Formats: sequence, structure tokens, C-alpha cells
Amino acid sequence: MGMGRISPKRAAVVALVASSLGLVFAAYSTYDYAVQLDRQVHAVHCSFIPGAPAAADGDNPCKTALFSAYSALFRATYWGGVPISLFALGAFCFFAAFALYLAMSGSRGSRWGWPFFAAASLLPLAASVGMFFVSVTHLHTLCKLCVGIYVSSIALAASAFVGARADKREREDLATAATVPVGAPPAPASRDSPALAVLWTAGLGVAALLPALVYASALPDYGPLLVKCGKLPAPLDRRGVLKIATEKPVKPVLLFEDPLCPSCKAFHARLLDEGIYDRLDVTLALFPLDSECNWMLDRALHPGACVMSRAVICGGNGTKARQVLEWSYDNQEELEALAKQGEKALLGKIGERWGSDLAACVSSKAAAAQLNQELHLAANAHIPVSTPQMFLGEQRICDEDTDLGLKYTMAQLAPEVLR
Amino acid sequence: MNQRRHQAQTPFGIDADPYRDRRRRVPPAVIGAGVGLALVLCATATVGSLVRGAKERLEHPSAPAEKVAIADDAEVAYCTPEFKQVLQRVLNACGLVGGEQRRGCQPADVKTFASINDADFNALFTPLKGRGAVVLFDENSDALDDGAKKLLEERWADRKGARYFFVVARASRDGTTEGNRALSHKRANSVQFHLHEIAPDDDLDKEVGLLWLGSEFAQLPSAYCDWPNSRAGKRCTPEFINRSAFVSWVDCRL
Repeated sequence: MGMGRISPKRAAVVALVASSLGLVFAAYSTYDYAVQLDRQVHAVHCSFIPGAPAAADGDNPCKTALFSAYSALFRATYWGGVPISLFALGAFCFFAAFALYLAMSGSRGSRWGWPFFAAASLLPLAASVGMFFVSVTHLHTLCKLCVGIYVSSIALAASAFVGARADKREREDLATAATVPVGAPPAPASRDSPALAVLWTAGLGVAALLPALVYASALPDYGPLLVKCGKLPAPLDRRGVLKIATEKPVKPVLLFEDPLCPSCKAFHARLLDEGIYDRLDVTLALFPLDSECNWMLDRALHPGACVMSRAVICGGNGTKARQVLEWSYDNQEELEALAKQGEKALLGKIGERWGSDLAACVSSKAAAAQLNQELHLAANAHIPVSTPQMFLGEQRICDEDTDLGLKYTMAQLAPEVLR
Repeated sequence: MNQRRHQAQTPFGIDADPYRDRRRRVPPAVIGAGVGLALVLCATATVGSLVRGAKERLEHPSAPAEKVAIADDAEVAYCTPEFKQVLQRVLNACGLVGGEQRRGCQPADVKTFASINDADFNALFTPLKGRGAVVLFDENSDALDDGAKKLLEERWADRKGARYFFVVARASRDGTTEGNRALSHKRANSVQFHLHEIAPDDDLDKEVGLLWLGSEFAQLPSAYCDWPNSRAGKRCTPEFINRSAFVSWVDCRL
């Protein structure tokens, strides 16, 4: 064997290692998802090192990915949906076992083994490529657990293809070397049929689906919990709120948001990604978590949020307020950094993007008074001092139902929004 | 068979690995299937256990839910029980609570509901020195001059987290008691009318509490000339400072 040639057995060992790593990363990802089912707040693992402790920071890329619209399937049917990591978990179990089989059997194994393995390895590879693009283009962040699965999938596919090629070559070498004695009886009919691939495919399917089926069947009934987080008091003085332009509003919603709050940004992205936002008749009340204008805090959680809230207010009702809000979400880190330099720097950036008129409006008494009215609306509604907050009609949506349970909640409380 | 039997008979009388050959006979496909099955079943059982654990925690939380701050009106240090008691009674008696039509209170009412002497009554408002201001009027007049309007507008705009805006109008001891009651009432109304002009959309009836004290209760001593007022820098006497309306947002939950 030359230096550049790799034996099928070695390729199988690499595939076994890759599958095992993928299995571990998928297991952590599944664990992080499943513990959230109790609707409590949990830390999320976010490390390339299996077994590293869960990240203590509130917002990390793995949390962003976990709470995104892309982390699970059937979200409208099951609270939180069925996490895609479950399918990966089962599939990597299968790939690990199959790699073990290939490593042990060598050239004595089925000649269809490696081709099947290579073809099947394209499934996790395709899923990883898809999720990678979603992460880059929609989430704008890469979660380490996800990257672990991507790399495992790539290593698995690469080793599978290398192994398939090496196996083919080895079998050809064996066939060339073999001599059949004249007059020898014909070899017995081989049981090595391509039909085996069908059996293996079925095995892969069962392995990938079984954890997901058990997960879905064991989920608690969340229906009664959706309406247990209170309602808006009536009557409620709604002076100062903004009407936000959406495409086909069918359900009134009151949102309390902070332009510099990362959770609000993620929530906004979820609403857009799920196709919900433009079906809502959105009334927006700014609720900046910044003690400069918000008396409910003793320190600024998001410095500059008061200025940015006034900028959204200065956008007026309709499209511009939404544009300013989304611009703020898209540039949160830069805007917060500018805010730390001082209000002047932040106003300069606002003026640069939206013009001097809007920047002047941000400093006006009228904008400050309107923001104050919106803060008083929050006080009158007795909302928790956290953002985002969502009221569907009069019903307050629990915090946990604005992330993992968002689509399920909509399907239950406002199905017309999802149609 | 002979060879296997021979291998089993080692010099030590036992086979070092009697299962070796038997294990060799297990096809890799069976081992692979067995391992795969075991892995999938183990993963599935773990998943089921995780979900059941979450369900158990959901139904029987081990720790009470973490308390989250609830949005509310401001509540600052000067909101002592005594101060709040007076303000609450103003709200009740003067129509801010309950939707009655009546606005403001008679001087006699203050004495009744406040159950407090003049000095203690004024002392309650002392912490509002930096928050409120004294709008001054000319003798026997209820007209707001430009300085008074400007100051009132500034104070009105500086609402922050307060729910109620209090106006405590007075009159100096010049003139009759009845006349001073009427004059202080007019001064309170002047303030309210101007607030209606500058904030026409606001629901003032639910936010502004009026008190007119006349001249017989809680007169301000000359020390109050140091407070922010609408005629800063001008001569101030006890008579001047009582031809006034003290205005302030109050950062108390009532």
C-alpha cells in the first residue's frame, strides 16, 4: 500500500470517529432543547469540547440557533416542535454502527456496503450545508455545537467516499489476483444483493425517526398553559403607541420592544421567519431597558435604548418606524458601542442614516413625551420589566411562548395568522 | 475441531480466551446491527427520559418561579406613609379616584382629611424641592405671567415615572379669608387651564390633583423663597411666596 492510499478499514475508523463526534454534539444539542420543555430558563451548551459546562452568558450563538425558527420541525403541531438534532442523533447512531461493521468486515463484507454508506452520508452532509447557510444568512451567527455537527458530517462524508473508493480498488485488486482452477465447481450464488441497501435505508430511517417519535409522543399538553400569563387591564390608555405597517394584518397584537435588546431582535427575526409578523396588526410600544428614561431600572441594561426608541417614534406610524426599528436591530452592537461614547455619537449615526430631521426629532421634547407615555402604558399594563412582551389581542403571551412555543401558540390562539 | 480442542488445552490447563473462536464466528453485520440497535435504543430511551423529566418539572417545579420586576409608577424615597396618606386622601377627596366630577378641595377639607398641622403638612412637600416649583402670581391676581407659564411647561414635561401632578395653590394673608379661598381656587384653576392648553390630548382629569388652601392653612415661610420659582432673582417675602401655586409631579404609587 502506497503512502497516498488509505485502506477501507482506516476510512471506516475515521467514519466511526466522525459519527461518534456527531452523535455527541447532537446529544448535547438535543439535551439543551429538551430541558427547555419545562418552560424554565436554562443555560445552553456552546463549546467545541464535549462535556464543557453550559455557557453562563445569557445570549450565545447556540441559544440564538436553539430559539430560531430553524431548529425544529412541526412547530405548529408540537410546543417547541421536534428538534432536528433528534434526527441527527438517531442517524449518527446508525452511521457509527455501520462504520463499525465496515471496519470489522473489510473486504469480506457486502460490496454494496461502502457505496451505500457513501450515498447515505450525503444526507447529514446536505442537512449540514443547508443549516450552515441558514446560520450564515439568517441567524448571522455560528453555534459551536452546530459547527461540531457540520464538521462531523463533512468528515463522515469524506471518509465514506474515500473508503468507498478504496474498497472498490481493493476488490478489483483481489479479483485480478484471484485464479480459478480449471474444472472447479462454480462459486455458490452470493447472497450479496443490492437489495441489502433497501434494508439499510430502512434501518437508517428507523434510527433517525425513532427518537423523534418517542420525543413527540412524550410531550406534555401545553394548551392550558398558554393563557395563564394574564391579560391587559381594561380600559388601557394607549396614547403614544405606534402602528407598524404590515402586509396582511389579521390579528391585533401589542408589542413592547427595546430597539437595542438582543432578545427583541431574535424575537422579531422569529416572527419574520415564521411568516407571522406580516399577518399581525402590530401596535408597538417602546420599552427601552435604559435608566436614562425608564424609571423602572436602576441602571442601563441597554445604554442608548432611550435614544433609539425616540428614533423609532420619530419614524412615525407606518413603514418608517418599522425600518428604523429593523435598522436598530441589524446594527445593535455598533449602536450600543456608539451610545457608550455618548449620545452625540449615537445621534450622529442616526443622522447619517436617516437624515438630520429625524435626528433633530430624536432630541425633541415631543419625542421624549411620547416615549414617556409608552412607558406609562407599560406601567399601567403591569408588564414584567423585560423585553420583548407580546399581547395577542388582550391575552399576554408567556415569555417561553414567544420563543420555542411561538408557532404552537399562534396555531392555538390565532390560527388565522398561520393560514 | 481438533485444532480448537488443542488450543483450549494450554500448559496452564485452561484456555486464555475460550470464547475467542466463538466470537470470531459472529458476523460483523450482526455486531454492527446489534451495536446500532443498542445505540438507537439507548438514545431513544434517554430522549424519552429527558422529556418525561421536563414534564415532571413542569408539573411540579422544584423551586418557585423567579420573581420578575413588574412595571409600575415610580416610587422614591420621599414617599413616606404619611406623605402618601395625605396624597391619597387628596386623590380620593378631590375626585382623581372614582371618577367624581368634583375637582379640588375646600380648605376645610384639607384640615379634616389631612389631620395634620401646617408645619408638618409643608414638611411633607420638602423633598419635592428639586422636582417641583413655585408659580408666583401678582397680588390679588390669578393670571399666569410668561415666566409662570414657562416654568409650568418645564415641570409638566418632566414627568418621568410619576402618575399624579399636584397643584397646591395658596393666597397671602392680605384680604379676607373668603376672598383668599376664592383667589387660591382661581390660581389652581389657572394652572389647570394652562395645562389643558399645553397638553390638550392628555387625560388631565386623571392626572392632576388640585388643592387650594386659601390663607388659613399651611402658609409657606420665607425659607420657601429658595425654592425654584417663576420669578427667580426678584424680591421674595412671605406674602409673595404665598401668592402662588406649588406644582410638582409626585413619584409615589398611590
